[in-house]
Amino acid sequence: MTGVLRRYISRPWPMWLADALVIGVVALWAYSTQTLPDYVLPGPWPVAKRLVELFTDWNFLYHTLASTLRVFASVLIALVIGGGLALLHRALPVLDWVMRGGIQPFLSSFPSIGWAILAAIWFPPGHFSIIFVQVAILVPFCMINIAEGLRQIDREAMEMARSFTRNKSRIAFKIMLPLLAPYLLGALRISYGIGWKISLVAELLGSTSGLGYLMLRAQGSADLVTVIAACLAIVLLFIAGERLLLDPLARKFSAKQAIN
Amino acid sequence: MSADASISSKAFTAAVFAAAVFSAWHAASLYLPPYLLPSPARIVEAASAFFSSAQRLSHLWATLLHIGVAIAISFAGGAALALLAHYANWSAPAIHQRLSPFLNAFSGIGWTLLAVIWFGVSTPTVIFSIAVVLLPFALINLREGLIALDRELDEMGRSFGRARWRMFTLIVAPGLLPFAAATLRIMFGVAWKVALTAELFGGSRGLGYLINLARQEYDTDMIFTVIIFIIISVYLADRFIFLPLERYTARQFAGQASR
Repeated sequence: MTGVLRRYISRPWPMWLADALVIGVVALWAYSTQTLPDYVLPGPWPVAKRLVELFTDWNFLYHTLASTLRVFASVLIALVIGGGLALLHRALPVLDWVMRGGIQPFLSSFPSIGWAILAAIWFPPGHFSIIFVQVAILVPFCMINIAEGLRQIDREAMEMARSFTRNKSRIAFKIMLPLLAPYLLGALRISYGIGWKISLVAELLGSTSGLGYLMLRAQGSADLVTVIAACLAIVLLFIAGERLLLDPLARKFSAKQAIN
Repeated sequence: MSADASISSKAFTAAVFAAAVFSAWHAASLYLPPYLLPSPARIVEAASAFFSSAQRLSHLWATLLHIGVAIAISFAGGAALALLAHYANWSAPAIHQRLSPFLNAFSGIGWTLLAVIWFGVSTPTVIFSIAVVLLPFALINLREGLIALDRELDEMGRSFGRARWRMFTLIVAPGLLPFAAATLRIMFGVAWKVALTAELFGGSRGLGYLINLARQEYDTDMIFTVIIFIIISVYLADRFIFLPLERYTARQFAGQASR
């Protein structure tokens, strides 16, 4: 414990400066909001209290959980669909123009709010409609990354694998998947980020749950405390997901890569 | 894995696919009411009405203006921060480990909703919302560029002269151009995704505002027209402006390290 503490204290001074800057910004925020009304900019203390409530009070936690679970579900579904499309592209080269000239640019250029509006027209409000929008937004990112990974797979490695075995599932799991892992992780990382940052737009139209809905409702009643707290909750969830899920996965797979 | 297909078979498949999509769309539109799925013919009609109406075209120019200004602001801001962190080492942790992750994790709609409260429903709201979402993309990408700059080239430059400004204009800036082009390309793609949302909630002009009106009137023809127009123009701009620019700068200016 003391070792950790000592290492922390003996950090280079620019690191201290970075932390001091954060504290300075919060202090400036606190100072400047003493004279400002709450509907222009609330102080850090009420925002911090609401931020805690977002993770503890059931009335708020409900929305936090709804968004989190939907982002996770959408990312996984998008990964499967995007990966499926990329594999289909590789397996059937005749589809090259359909994929690169049709499906991929179509999905990449589709405006995200467009999906949200169409889903609001097509489907009854609910989880399905929201997840549909998020998956539609995320699929092109997954597809591009995984397709790039498949392109980069060493032909020599595949040839070697085929000379050792003709069992396709063994090749898939022992050679292709490990080689593809960095790109799968890249796809996961990008779509997790986009999922939180952009695809929450799905919760703004025809939804009754989620942090996006909560923010819009709070903004409508000039409740800036909740809007800012929800934004900060998203920042925390995003960073927590990166540190606790994506970084360990990346370390695990890059270690395997190094052995290969 | 099968061998690569010939160009003619790819083109044939693409034509069959396009024909299948259009006939499926047409067939489905016969059974569904037009407010759920308008037929292709109705879209063509709506598109010709759109492009012959000066008032509607003005929304298109408004969106292009929002996107252009936002990209310029966030590119300049991102470049300034990346260069500051690069040349003034002491500021690097504050910028790359505090500011950048924070901006990168902040939700786009959060900025839009906050901006509406702070600046009202206006053009600054829209531009602010887009620019602040784009800023981390510029910062992170240009940082990668600065890291990838050729060290050997830098050393050679210093052996020829110690004027830092000359070093910057003759070596660093050209070396960064390929990254700048790639960054612009990414920013353009993201800007379109964010711009319509910002205009829908915080704008009084622009295509996002237009599709919000259309949504309230259940004018699905107009929604489809705007979406299809955006898909086509984003694709064309990417294919014929940003991709060639990226390739050209990579060919002309990329050092050994970034090739």
